[in-house]
Amino acid sequence: MAEFGEIVDATFVLSAEQVEIRKYGFSEILFSGTPTVYHVGDVINLPYASGEISTMQAVGLAWGAFASGVTPE
Amino acid sequence: MAKKSGSSFGTFDRSPIPEVNKILPIRTEFSKGSVPNSLYSVDQESAWSRWRRGFELYCKATINQEYSYPFDYLIPLPPGTVIPPGSNPPKIPGVFQGFPTANKELGMHWAGVRLAGSLRFDNIRDKDGDPSPILSVTEDDDYWYVQISGDWSATNPLPAPLFIPPVGPIPKQYPINGEILEDRVVSVGGAVINSQTIDPTTQKRYGYVQAVLISTNETTGVLKLQKQGSVESTPDGVLRTPATRPPNVGRYLITGARYCCSCQDFNRRDFAYMTTLGQNNKKLFPRTRAATAKPGRHEIMSLRGVVDNSAMTDATVNRNMQVVSPSPQYNVPPTVTPNTSTDARSLRDNPGVYRDFGNVYLRNRPSPSIPGAVADGMPTYDDYSTVTNPDGSHTITSLTDYWTPLLDEVRYCKHIYAMKFAEKIFPPEPSDIPIDAEGIVEWEQDLVAKVNKDNEKAVYDLTVRGLSTMDVPPYNCQAPMMMPMMQKLFNVPSTFVLMSGFRMFDKNGTEYNPSTGGSPAS
Repeated sequence: MAEFGEIVDATFVLSAEQVEIRKYGFSEILFSGTPTVYHVGDVINLPYASGEISTMQAVGLAWGAFASGVTPE
Repeated sequence: MAKKSGSSFGTFDRSPIPEVNKILPIRTEFSKGSVPNSLYSVDQESAWSRWRRGFELYCKATINQEYSYPFDYLIPLPPGTVIPPGSNPPKIPGVFQGFPTANKELGMHWAGVRLAGSLRFDNIRDKDGDPSPILSVTEDDDYWYVQISGDWSATNPLPAPLFIPPVGPIPKQYPINGEILEDRVVSVGGAVINSQTIDPTTQKRYGYVQAVLISTNETTGVLKLQKQGSVESTPDGVLRTPATRPPNVGRYLITGARYCCSCQDFNRRDFAYMTTLGQNNKKLFPRTRAATAKPGRHEIMSLRGVVDNSAMTDATVNRNMQVVSPSPQYNVPPTVTPNTSTDARSLRDNPGVYRDFGNVYLRNRPSPSIPGAVADGMPTYDDYSTVTNPDGSHTITSLTDYWTPLLDEVRYCKHIYAMKFAEKIFPPEPSDIPIDAEGIVEWEQDLVAKVNKDNEKAVYDLTVRGLSTMDVPPYNCQAPMMMPMMQKLFNVPSTFVLMSGFRMFDKNGTEYNPSTGGSPAS
């Protein structure tokens, strides 16, 4: 079961070997570190629990406040 | 052809023949884009060219995740709204993807994606606090009408952000209209399914449907989804378009990926380049074609009440963007809010739907097996019917054209096409392939070679010049060319796009907060 904020449908997952051989262009500068958190094309799992302010609700609050002329703190 | 003099009625010149490989930003206004004309086989405004170039960019730019800046945007809340301690903050996850370009002084176009799954309908509750799955679906030839569960009425309308009630001069708003919706949540709080997720009760894949939300009826709770351009993930794990069945009853909807780009092709804006001032006879200042101009409509970036158009700002600064429009008729349809010059709250740039970017047209026949649907693909020209005469000749009895709007609500630039390729949902091929059949292979090879050559030069130039800290997101997110894009991408009012909301991730996946001086690991 995916946890909150995890990617549930990844565009691709680089293997350790792929990460190891990644290069920028034709230079010999090796990329270090692990691939970044999100990739283009990912699908995220955001199941907000009851009582939490979900992204859906927050967007609604923002638009509702905007209509009333209210700006964030 | 030499120039010929005309009569006293005027001088008639031969129309310029477009250069095959010179693809320019789309400028056509009244034809709505890229229908190949009858005079020339080359149309440099072709969406197909963007689609094809997008695939090359996908192969070069996105596959290695270079210039990729993942982020979480923490949505600021109105005063008085408190996030319960220990709970997850409302956030919009996404990625900025840089595309090196040879045609821009900064050396980079920035495209952004808001990840699919950001907004989930299982977080919507009716007045009794019950979740609202899909209750039923009806359909006609062109649309599905999805009934959301709940006792909706004029006094108990659909909740925000599906519907924002009118307040004073601000009329009804439907910010989610134009979003892509997918029925990928099976139970409240459940994980989003994908094409391969198997239903444990049937041991078959769930499958799902993706379609664009056209309109929302707040009093009945009916969402109108468009069949055309819909995508279905079948029980075989195959993606097909258009979908052959409606969204599943009992499921919860999520929003699909949302894209935006800072390039002039997507924004339909011209940029002026300081480094070429005086070097050639190109125009020195951005100007807008008369047909595009919305008289009096403009944006104002201000910092503490003072106009501020600087490209880069500190990560602790929040500028204000006001979209000024003299009257509602100058808004770009379909309009969510008619801004007026007298309303200081007109801070949005048509976020529900992107600026009119032209539709893509498909020359194809309706599919007899799916009423109302037209299959995507290469154009067919079986647009007439004949009868055979006794002597063996044929007589045309009817002529019919099958130009129909295709697929997405907007036409994308090549950068967004590249990101759609990365989404694994192979973006359907636009039907306006811009050349005669006999020249297509050579033309395409030339196009690919040119894209690769341009891209290599752009990357080289960028390497020589280098990106400064302030040239990358989120530091440049308040630049005049970026701020409208940010608001469109997040689909929240621009006053709710604050620098303090950005949480970036470095190459090691470690989060940092630029507004408090955070920086990526070296």
